[in-house]
Amino acid sequence: MGKQLDLLQGTLDMLILKAVSLGPLHGYGILLRIQQISKDRLEIQQGSLYPALYRLEHQGWISSEWGESENKRKAKYYRLTAAGKRRLQTETENWNRMTDVIAGILGTRPEEV
Amino acid sequence: MRLWSQLRSWVRAMLRRSRMEREIDAELCFHIEAFAEDLVRSGVSREEALRRARIEFGGIERAKEECRDARGMNFLESLAQDLRYGVRMLRNSPGFTATAILTLALGIGANTAIFSVVDAILLRPLPYPEPGRLVRIWESSARRDSPRNVVNPFNFMDWREQSQAFESMAAISGLMTNLSAHNEPFAVQGMQVSPEFFSVLRTAPLLGRTFNVADGVPGQDRSVILSHGLWQRQFGGDAAIVGQKVQVNGVPCQVIGVMPQGFSFPKSKAEVWTPLALTRTEEYKRGRYLTVVARLKAGVSLEQARQDMLRVASYTQQARPDMDKDWSASVFPMLEDATEKVRQPLWVLLASVGFLLLIGCANVANLLLMRGTSRLREMAVRSALGASRSRIIQQLLIESLMLALAGMAAGLIFAHIGLSGLLALIPQNSPLPRSEPITINGGVLLFVFLVSLFTVALFGLVPALRLSHVDLQSALKQGSVRGGVGGHQTLRRCFVVAEVSLALVLSVGTGLMLRSFARLISVDPGFSREHLLTMHVWTSPARYSDNLKRSQYFARMLAAIRSTPGVEAAGSTHFLPLTETISRSCFSPGDGPQPIPSESPSAQFLIISPGYFRAMGTPLRMGRDFEERDAFDSPPVAVVNQAFADRFYTGQNIFGKTLWVCWTITKPVEIVGVVSNARQAHMQDAPEPTIFLSNAQAPMYFATLAVRASGDLQQIARGTEAAIHSVDPDQAVSNIQTMETVFSDSVSSPRMQAVLLLVFAGLAIALAMIGVYGVVSYSVSERTNEIGIRVALGARSGDVFGLVLREALMLTAIALGIGLAGSFALSRVLQTLLFEVTPTDPVTLASVAAWMVAVSTIAAILPARRASRVDPTVALRYE
Repeated sequence: MGKQLDLLQGTLDMLILKAVSLGPLHGYGILLRIQQISKDRLEIQQGSLYPALYRLEHQGWISSEWGESENKRKAKYYRLTAAGKRRLQTETENWNRMTDVIAGILGTRPEEV
Repeated sequence: MRLWSQLRSWVRAMLRRSRMEREIDAELCFHIEAFAEDLVRSGVSREEALRRARIEFGGIERAKEECRDARGMNFLESLAQDLRYGVRMLRNSPGFTATAILTLALGIGANTAIFSVVDAILLRPLPYPEPGRLVRIWESSARRDSPRNVVNPFNFMDWREQSQAFESMAAISGLMTNLSAHNEPFAVQGMQVSPEFFSVLRTAPLLGRTFNVADGVPGQDRSVILSHGLWQRQFGGDAAIVGQKVQVNGVPCQVIGVMPQGFSFPKSKAEVWTPLALTRTEEYKRGRYLTVVARLKAGVSLEQARQDMLRVASYTQQARPDMDKDWSASVFPMLEDATEKVRQPLWVLLASVGFLLLIGCANVANLLLMRGTSRLREMAVRSALGASRSRIIQQLLIESLMLALAGMAAGLIFAHIGLSGLLALIPQNSPLPRSEPITINGGVLLFVFLVSLFTVALFGLVPALRLSHVDLQSALKQGSVRGGVGGHQTLRRCFVVAEVSLALVLSVGTGLMLRSFARLISVDPGFSREHLLTMHVWTSPARYSDNLKRSQYFARMLAAIRSTPGVEAAGSTHFLPLTETISRSCFSPGDGPQPIPSESPSAQFLIISPGYFRAMGTPLRMGRDFEERDAFDSPPVAVVNQAFADRFYTGQNIFGKTLWVCWTITKPVEIVGVVSNARQAHMQDAPEPTIFLSNAQAPMYFATLAVRASGDLQQIARGTEAAIHSVDPDQAVSNIQTMETVFSDSVSSPRMQAVLLLVFAGLAIALAMIGVYGVVSYSVSERTNEIGIRVALGARSGDVFGLVLREALMLTAIALGIGLAGSFALSRVLQTLLFEVTPTDPVTLASVAAWMVAVSTIAAILPARRASRVDPTVALRYE
């Protein structure tokens, strides 16, 4: 396990959308899934997860309902809405374009300028 | 869509607050529990697991707060908090709050009231369909300097037939009308109108019909239309009135219609309409007395209509040169024409309240700037405790909004009081040009409110904006913030200079109006208005059809009045002075050819009875008054006024001279007397050359009686009326009023202007005083330290006093310069409103300037005294 990376500003929302796109999850589950997919290479502030969830729900990209967790406890589950799906798609495209551009810039050698 | 879901989520958050709170708790709790369980599974004790879970999670309360923010749950909460805080802040400084609210309220109230009047009279379209196409047509003569002259009937008939620009055209002749219902005579304002009148205005009757062409044929013109008010008052609102007969001027006429409520014609209080049957007979050939109103054809411009009328007028000039040489025709939009006389006074009033609003806003801005400085520390404290800048701005905006709303609420009350006071100042007998009800104008109220809100918000935000320039630490450390904040004092000084100069301009205008008004009412009118009663009588043409009968009837009526107890003298005139009525006609020397209306000189003509001059108190200069012997068939005589003698018979013996007159007397009249000049139409008009003819020799159908009496005028009025009824029980008497009232009504417009301007200028000066006081006292508190040092170094309290006073006087001096320049620049506007006072009247300018200096000094005295009592030990320790 390498050194943990701090989350880039503004990317948490995207990761949450991706995580719930794979199936409904409660807050703790989202945290676990992101850590699992990233192979624990991302450091996520737990305290900032819930405000982000509330913000996304407020914007209508995810919806929530109370259900029962694996260990028979009441938990709030989040799922992606149709609008959230579209949002995730555009976010992903934007991100890919952005990383391409930045990678291109950073990969530039002196003789190419 | 997204907005909708946000709104829904927000509303849910608002409505189900406690549930949301529970849900947040439960959710975070679950998170920590689940996390701890995972830790327990990896072998940590439960207690330790929970502790670590909490630490890993971070600040739970902060997370919750951020969740609430994300949902918008905090918005209302902080709003409520700011409101509470705002109320507390405003209550804690009642002086500031009261001054700011009062200032805003005065500006809002005065502007709303005045603009409501301006809008109702000048701007709102006339209450007829397609009012933009309505015009008035006048005869005009450049040679006689008369752009709007009433119209000759023959000319009207030619206009109506030959013009092409108009859909329809109607003539109006308005005078008192005698009605009689249930054998009880009464007189009302009436209008004789040509049958097209109602179709020009496109107004349908409430009941029955309006006039048609047949009603305009002589002999068939026995129909009458009633106003809604008259119908309700005299006929009990009985719908069966249509078709019934009423006596109109002694002739039975059929009521053919009733007009709807609120129907009126500008400047007229007419309550009955009768047909005006014009024919091309000798009767209508002479004289100009018709008012003409017309409706433009669709698509015809005013300019085209003017050209069309010029063409028609050139025809009438050729057709009747004796009558129409040099007479053309002019066309004006009806609204402009009706409001011509009040337009400028109203705009001046509106400009004055506009000034007042500007002064008010400057004053409030000043107050807010001053308060902003003193609140800098408070803002710094809040900022240091973690309040974000946007949160502070929100709070300041809410305070501003509260001030502006309170100002508007109070302003609305002021506007109501102001408007009803304003309308009460308008005399009953000289109505506004329009009779539609005047109410508070919501649009203006909103506009003025927004202006105030803008000012308050802009200058209320200053502390928040300044916060970014100020070092928090030093702001907190020092008792007050000094150094680097002087910039706003300059801004404040500019505001005060602006306030004082605007107040000065307003005061100069007021001073000029007051002087002009004082001149106007001190003019010697040429008669004495005390103990003088006036009333109008209109004889029935049916009963007194021939001239001899009418002449005798008036003589008997006056004789009966003179024998009434308390009556000292009585006489009659066909046009009472100061009622804006005038009649002019032509004349020529009796030894020459007969006069031609378009060529011969003209003079004012008044038809009076013997005893009129005595009743009015107009002294006879030479010769004699009319007497009993000047009967209907005796040799005709005339009296002239001094102006006539001076103008036409300078240095000649006027007695025995004869005149041809363009009047009903066809023989030359002999001049037998000369009277002093008297004012006729208005107080401000210089006396015109006047020829008086005797009502016995040139009897009129109507007259205004002038009764000089001692004792209670009301009782005399009853006695006089009884005397008139003893001669003819069917004679209606109307407009019974004292000459004092007639005089007072005649100067009501300049008086109203002077009073209103006086009120506005008073308020402006009060606001400017507050401004000067504020700036000087702030600068004293800023300079306490410096003053302390000066006193410690030996300055006497008088020196300190002078030091402070000098600042106020310097500001005032600058303001005087600007204000006087402004007054000069605006002088042209006032020119036409002033009587015998020039708009740059040095006396007014000097006294207003002195007054402003005095006022500023008074405003500065309090802070100056405070400064002169500064104790150096206290002042220096203070730092």
